[in-house]
Amino acid sequence: MSTIEYLIQGLGTALIWYNILFAFVGVLIGTAVGVLPGIGPMSGVALLIPVTASITGGLPPEQAATSAIILLAGVYYGAMYGGSTTSILLNTPGESSSVVTTLDGYQMAKKGRAGSALSIAAIGSFVAGIVTLVALILLAKPLSAVAIKFGPAEYFSLMLLGLGAVSGLAGKSVTKALIMTVCGLLLGTIGIDSVSGIARFTFDVPWLYQGIEFLTIAVGLFALGEVFKTILEKDEEEAEIAKINNLLPSKEELKESAGPITRGSLLGFFVGILPGAGATLASFFSYILEKKISKTPSKFGTGTIAGVAAPESANNAASGGAMIPLLTLGIPGSGTTAILMGALMMYNVQPGPLLFEDHPQVAWGLIASMFIGNIMLLILNLPLVKVFAKIIQTPKQFLIPMIIAISIFGVYAVQVSTYDLLLLLGCGILGYFLSKNDYPIAPLVLGLVLGPMVENNLRRALTISNGDFSIFVTRPISLVFLLITLLWLIIPFMMKRRGKDVIINIEG
Amino acid sequence: MALKFDYIASVLFLAVGVLFIVGSKNLESSSYGSAVGPDIFPLILGSALVLLSIRLFYETFITKNHYGTKEKLQYKPFIIIFTTTLLYILTLETIGYVITTFLFLFVCFQTMQRSKVILSLIISACFSGLVYFLYVDVLKGTLPGWPIWF
Repeated sequence: MSTIEYLIQGLGTALIWYNILFAFVGVLIGTAVGVLPGIGPMSGVALLIPVTASITGGLPPEQAATSAIILLAGVYYGAMYGGSTTSILLNTPGESSSVVTTLDGYQMAKKGRAGSALSIAAIGSFVAGIVTLVALILLAKPLSAVAIKFGPAEYFSLMLLGLGAVSGLAGKSVTKALIMTVCGLLLGTIGIDSVSGIARFTFDVPWLYQGIEFLTIAVGLFALGEVFKTILEKDEEEAEIAKINNLLPSKEELKESAGPITRGSLLGFFVGILPGAGATLASFFSYILEKKISKTPSKFGTGTIAGVAAPESANNAASGGAMIPLLTLGIPGSGTTAILMGALMMYNVQPGPLLFEDHPQVAWGLIASMFIGNIMLLILNLPLVKVFAKIIQTPKQFLIPMIIAISIFGVYAVQVSTYDLLLLLGCGILGYFLSKNDYPIAPLVLGLVLGPMVENNLRRALTISNGDFSIFVTRPISLVFLLITLLWLIIPFMMKRRGKDVIINIEG
Repeated sequence: MALKFDYIASVLFLAVGVLFIVGSKNLESSSYGSAVGPDIFPLILGSALVLLSIRLFYETFITKNHYGTKEKLQYKPFIIIFTTTLLYILTLETIGYVITTFLFLFVCFQTMQRSKVILSLIISACFSGLVYFLYVDVLKGTLPGWPIWF
């Protein structure tokens, strides 16, 4: 079947009434997550996995996986839309990927042009979403065709590349990021070894035999960690929300932002494909690019529309671009995509080159639903932006305890075990201290999700070579991946040593 | 403070690494005649963690101008909420979801801010009741609903 036929079939899946509903709920919650400072896309998606798992429980497995991933992906790209709202109106970015938007967005709002800034951000995000989807459709087949030829050695090296790239860009200290990655991988070894059937590091505790569930760790470290942070570091300041008048941008503004949106979308997409470089980096890069090529660079920072259009398009494009390595290679390039991958694996759907052959319904259904989701977001965001701006006024008094209650309900619904809840609480404390002391959490979750696959490929490769480690350097593709990994880790390190500022990816 | 944390963390990570090395030494080293067994991966990782934690210790050691900004932390509400959460988790299976969730939410709402008592009561009751109804009656999930002695 050709790509077009698959796409039409995917559209059929995405247009089933409950899938439309799932996409709608996903983008709605995503926008709310984007607006609320404190809950990022990562904890948003992690919190919703158990909820979606219970809602989709009645469907056949493959349809359940499709519906769940439609909702979760909706949260992911919806958050990119929502993040801009608070950046522009309040000067407080809802997500790290919208930090750059505050520079010009808030200035525009001060001048009474909040409406056009918001609508340009929404339009830019929409265009970027569509551009990345077209690219995703075009690239998906050829990339998975290449990836399917990879053997275990190549896969092992590719996964190392993914882990190395995320660690290299994840925080202030590469050492700390690597420690977190290794800890994640080690946590993944706990439980029954799938190759030999031997129980490892379980100390005869039955609860540990099935391994440590990534969901518990992810919800604990991200969601509860952030909740504890909010409780401990309570700040009382109330910011004033800028007024929104005339929502539609003028023709000149549209004309002025057409270029930045196009460039931002393309740049964001390519940055998004790279493992480790996520939406945050993409928005930074596109802002810098616009400033460089602009005829009047001094206008940036005083409320020029290009300074809103470019980064907002870029961060949305990057979130779409990040889906490509996830879907075609099975390698998540960021914390959020790692969580999405974990969600797919909970439904026994293995992302990777075989995804498009084994589960075309899941893959194409997701792609088609992203089209629908982006249109919904545009429609939702333009008239409802005032409503979303109100969400930020949700009192923390009610919000924080409810997040704890939802985390506990979610983990218990999936795991039905008090031990998991205790682990969840422990992870919350750990998450607070780790992120407070600059230990990035995303690499740990990535390591935990990828761990079993890294190990299986390592052992398969070594079994083929009869225990000879040189298989990883004698196979050319594998060698290339390993060399890139090495460069990725060394270059930022060398640059830091020279005293240069390295932009790091806060989101992970 | 971050400095002190890094020292303690590096020692802890070192210990974890060593434990994993020791633990993997006790595993079978081979399975079904293959050259590689279940011990190799944890062994490599444990060694990597040991090396990285030594590196972290060294990095912390050479970082001199480390000034920690002391901020005021809200310990009291945190400890109350933490203890309440712990109690909630431990009593969830015996007393049941509806009652524990209601109490947990109400206590936490009031700890966050001592105001709007009636609204807090309503929200806690709605949340626990609604989640239980939706999950158990509509979605047919399993939750310990009411006290076991009921």
